[in-house]
Amino acid sequence: MQPRVELVAVRKSYQGFVAVDDLTCSILPGQIFGLLGPNGAGKTSTIRMMIGITAPDSGIVRIFGAPLSRIAMHRVGYLPEERGLYRRMTVRDNLSFLGQLSGLSISTSAERIEGWTARLAIDEWLEHRVEELSKGMQQKIQFIAALLHDPDLIVMDEPFAGLDPMNSMQLKDILLELKTAGKTIVFSTHRMDQVEKLCDSICLVDRGKSVLQGNLKEIKAGYGSRFVQIDYDGDGRFLAESALIDSLNDYGNHAELSLKPGADSQELLRSAMSALNVRRFQVMEPSLEQIFIDHVTRK
Amino acid sequence: MRGLSLRNIWIVAKREYLERVRTRSFLASTFATPVLMSVLLLLPALIASSAARDLANQQPPPLRLVFASDNPGLAELARSQLLREDGAHYVVSIDPSLSNAEHDDLASRLDAAKIDGYVWLEDGALANPKIVFTTHRAGDAILHQRLSSALTYAFSAERLLQRGISVNDTASMLQRVDLRVVKAGHPPGVAELRGTIAVLLLVFVMFFSLLSYGVMVMRSVLEEKASRITEVLLCSTTAGELMSGKIIGTGSVAMTQIAVWFSIAAIGAARSPYVRAAVGELEAGVPLLIYFAIFYVLGFLLYSSIFAGVGAAFNSVDEAQQWNFVILLPLVAASGLILPVATSSDSMMAIAVSIFPFCAPVLMFERIAVHNPPAWQVALSIVAMLATIAASFYVCGRIYRVGILMYGKRPSLRELTRWYRHA
Repeated sequence: MQPRVELVAVRKSYQGFVAVDDLTCSILPGQIFGLLGPNGAGKTSTIRMMIGITAPDSGIVRIFGAPLSRIAMHRVGYLPEERGLYRRMTVRDNLSFLGQLSGLSISTSAERIEGWTARLAIDEWLEHRVEELSKGMQQKIQFIAALLHDPDLIVMDEPFAGLDPMNSMQLKDILLELKTAGKTIVFSTHRMDQVEKLCDSICLVDRGKSVLQGNLKEIKAGYGSRFVQIDYDGDGRFLAESALIDSLNDYGNHAELSLKPGADSQELLRSAMSALNVRRFQVMEPSLEQIFIDHVTRK
Repeated sequence: MRGLSLRNIWIVAKREYLERVRTRSFLASTFATPVLMSVLLLLPALIASSAARDLANQQPPPLRLVFASDNPGLAELARSQLLREDGAHYVVSIDPSLSNAEHDDLASRLDAAKIDGYVWLEDGALANPKIVFTTHRAGDAILHQRLSSALTYAFSAERLLQRGISVNDTASMLQRVDLRVVKAGHPPGVAELRGTIAVLLLVFVMFFSLLSYGVMVMRSVLEEKASRITEVLLCSTTAGELMSGKIIGTGSVAMTQIAVWFSIAAIGAARSPYVRAAVGELEAGVPLLIYFAIFYVLGFLLYSSIFAGVGAAFNSVDEAQQWNFVILLPLVAASGLILPVATSSDSMMAIAVSIFPFCAPVLMFERIAVHNPPAWQVALSIVAMLATIAASFYVCGRIYRVGILMYGKRPSLRELTRWYRHA
């Protein structure tokens, strides 16, 4: 299957600072792909190169199997991290303008604007200026602008930032629907907990480099049952001193930890029960955040 | 991705145009400026025009003047000459006495506002013509000029008469020469002074329009940077299309405004003799208007491309302000040269500055309007401007491409050079 996006040994630096360093990854059609990492890891720089906003210093970027072209640009929908609309223009004019730039005719654009705004329940705001809208509503408009031209590749930088739970859920439902329709969706976020339920594949980046990538289920399976959550009462210093534990995130009466390779979780349970009042002990699949911390810490 | 999409340039230009012409500030400046200009241009004409006075039915009383002289012939010559002046509206009496008591009497009548002034023609004035005119209207330059002219005539005539020349011969010898300046290639009858005023008006319209709409391009780029919409736009269009569309859209707004002004002037000229007098030869100057359009478009393309680059390089109007002055310096210098170029349009200095691309929009147009410079000079200035515009689009386009995605600290010249190289 031909990848929707391919980055091969891509590098980008700004005034001596290397934002993306020798990054290689490919995104298959119909996938939800997570480009994950902490702030400043190089996610936005990677996305900008992916969709042709900036050019890499070196390396190859292919989109729909070829270098970026104007036709390919019209097949991409982009929601940038820094949301931007013309504040003094009406919602309708903003959307119509962005739709036309993405290749739609005025009439098609008008039809789709009606449909999308009705679906997201903001159709009554169509004739209002953007500056009159709340931040959440502006975000919805931006979201519609990214999808108006029915793109095959949807790239979203921090899509859930600033959305309340109801709107987040609505956005998630639409994205899943688009995935079912065969669209490819790329997320970039530092909030790994929000997207790990959605992603099929991920690429974890840190300081511009890819530290881990692949199918999310396979990555998690590769970690086996080394991750444990404990709810406890008592002196948690015992956990920090345990020779069985590789990394620990202790919240006082709740701890998340990974065991050293070969360590036995039952042995940890027995020693924990002798030192603490254990209310819950659960061996579980690691979260993306845990995987990331584990990976970066071990490096 | 190479090449420019005309469709995208059109979409960007259309948005820029519609957004600007719908603003209240555009409507206000478009329609308030002609009103203001009309007031400034027509008010003096209306004040000076006796027809306007008739309309208002408020003929002011004539000025009451006294010529005190012991030479009644001389005084009479001066009086009759003064009353012959165009627009003269005076009552002049002659006082044949030059006694101290008479002087005191005239001074007290002046203080009591029974007369508006008196001329004291002392004995021996013919030999030493230093005449005193006493009045409270010391600021009335037209009256002073007319009096001086009438007295000069009277003294000359009196001297000729004393040498035995007949009255008729004296009158014909002192007949005033009527000098009329007619511009080459124009039918006699075109009022040159009014034509020059109209040309200067066009030059000033060009200057201020280039200034304000060039800065508007910069503000527009800065607004897009501040609202962070640039990144959304760059996903669907290229930086070159964005910059071109912005310049064309804003330029079209400027052209619309000027077209409205010209239309108002044309309608006014067709309906009102006063407006026709004020706009002078504009109604007959279609070739001049074509030159105006050519030089305006070239000037706008040159300055707006530089302003677009500056707007992209900085984060706020305040930051870009100091560069504004540097960019506008040639235009400001050109505005200072408008009058010198008008008076010596074929001097080496005038030729050089009118070919210099940054001054050419104002000064070459001015030379075409007032002097008809050789065709090669006009062609050279247009070619020089086109080459400079191409260079400016290339350099500023590269800075724009990088700058519109740069936020944070103000770039140094070294950084701008790096942007240019890496774009």
